[in-house]
Amino acid sequence: MIRGTVLGQVWATRQAAGLIGRKLLLVAVEASDRLLVCVDTMQAGVGDEVLVSFGSGARNVLRPGPDNRDLLCDAAIAQVVDGSDDGAG
Amino acid sequence: MILGRVIGTVWATRKHPRMSGLKLLVVEPYFVYQPAHDVDHLVAVDTLDAGPGDDVLVCLGRPARRLLGGDNFPVEAAVMAIVDRSQLVEREFSDEVARPLCPLRPFSPARVEWL
Repeated sequence: MIRGTVLGQVWATRQAAGLIGRKLLLVAVEASDRLLVCVDTMQAGVGDEVLVSFGSGARNVLRPGPDNRDLLCDAAIAQVVDGSDDGAG
Repeated sequence: MILGRVIGTVWATRKHPRMSGLKLLVVEPYFVYQPAHDVDHLVAVDTLDAGPGDDVLVCLGRPARRLLGGDNFPVEAAVMAIVDRSQLVEREFSDEVARPLCPLRPFSPARVEWL
């Protein structure tokens, strides 16, 4: 998982069937400015600090359990961070 | 997922049987990403009929294969969506990081609305 900051949102009409209805946010990775597109289920908004899961962890955010390999998602927001004490947040 | 622009297509005659009929696009990601190989472009399978000039979301890994209907395709990048509109906080990105991956191509996703 990585920490990042929500910087924006993306909308698309033509998209894969498994993505329909999902909110897609642009997230800048902490300390690198690398930009990712993540599925959001937590109603995160611009400026929020979030925790992003990848791979099967991302699918477990959308639907926990062993039978979620059909989900089309490689990055999802797992938490909206309230605070941290490593001096970075 | 990665946001990028379609800059071209790739085609081939001799190919793995499970790749036959798949349309391949060359996608140049906006912003730095961390690919498995030291390259700054991606080749992604397209099932949505995207074309050069479109901004797309590219999904990497197993979900890209699932998009094609199975787990046994020699594929790990696929176009998941064609972007209509995006909203982004206007902010200074450091040169190295925000370097548009192709220096001649400034960052200009389709219909971006700066916040």
